[in-house]
Amino acid sequence: MGAIRNEIRRLRFEHGEMTQQELAEKIKVTRQTVNAIEQGKYSPSLEAAFRISAVFGKPLESVFHYSQEE
Amino acid sequence: MSFREKSAWISMLSMSGIYGLYFWSVIHAGPRAGGFHFGGLLETIIALVVVQIVLTTAVAIFTPREAKAPRDERDKLIELRAMRVAYAGLATSVALACFFGAFNPPIVFNTNSLLFILVTAEIMRSACQIIQYRRGA
Repeated sequence: MGAIRNEIRRLRFEHGEMTQQELAEKIKVTRQTVNAIEQGKYSPSLEAAFRISAVFGKPLESVFHYSQEE
Repeated sequence: MSFREKSAWISMLSMSGIYGLYFWSVIHAGPRAGGFHFGGLLETIIALVVVQIVLTTAVAIFTPREAKAPRDERDKLIELRAMRVAYAGLATSVALACFFGAFNPPIVFNTNSLLFILVTAEIMRSACQIIQYRRGA
């Protein structure tokens, strides 16, 4: 079973301490969904993942990492 | 807690409480009372609609931004998973009802039993939504 990890928390901090609510509004999801993604409890759709990457101006692989071992 | 999760709580608690009272009155009345009470059911449905509208409106007043926001992809996924669980419960219960109906003499489920199956499936759906929201997804 693989696991998707992400750098969203760090990237938010680096982008003027962007709040979860601000990010949620930019990618058109709820704040609770951003929180679930950030904690690795929910894997976003490919479209949402691309939107998150676009907000931070980073390639997808810089925001999300996939590891095959949990 | 998101608006969708609060809605699921409202649905589960109101259905459990109000239909619980209805089924309690049916059981309390006993089999000789005729089983199905349309008047009682109508009152139950009206009470349920009123309670759900009042509570959902109250929640929406306190969190207007969340209430106006459309369901996002996680909400839709949670809803689909909950629907799958509820459908499995509903289908199993109906299959059991058909099985018992095949006996000779048939053990026929009356209208209240079928209503109970439907209400239980709906409560299961809300409960599954709540569990997934609590877990994260």
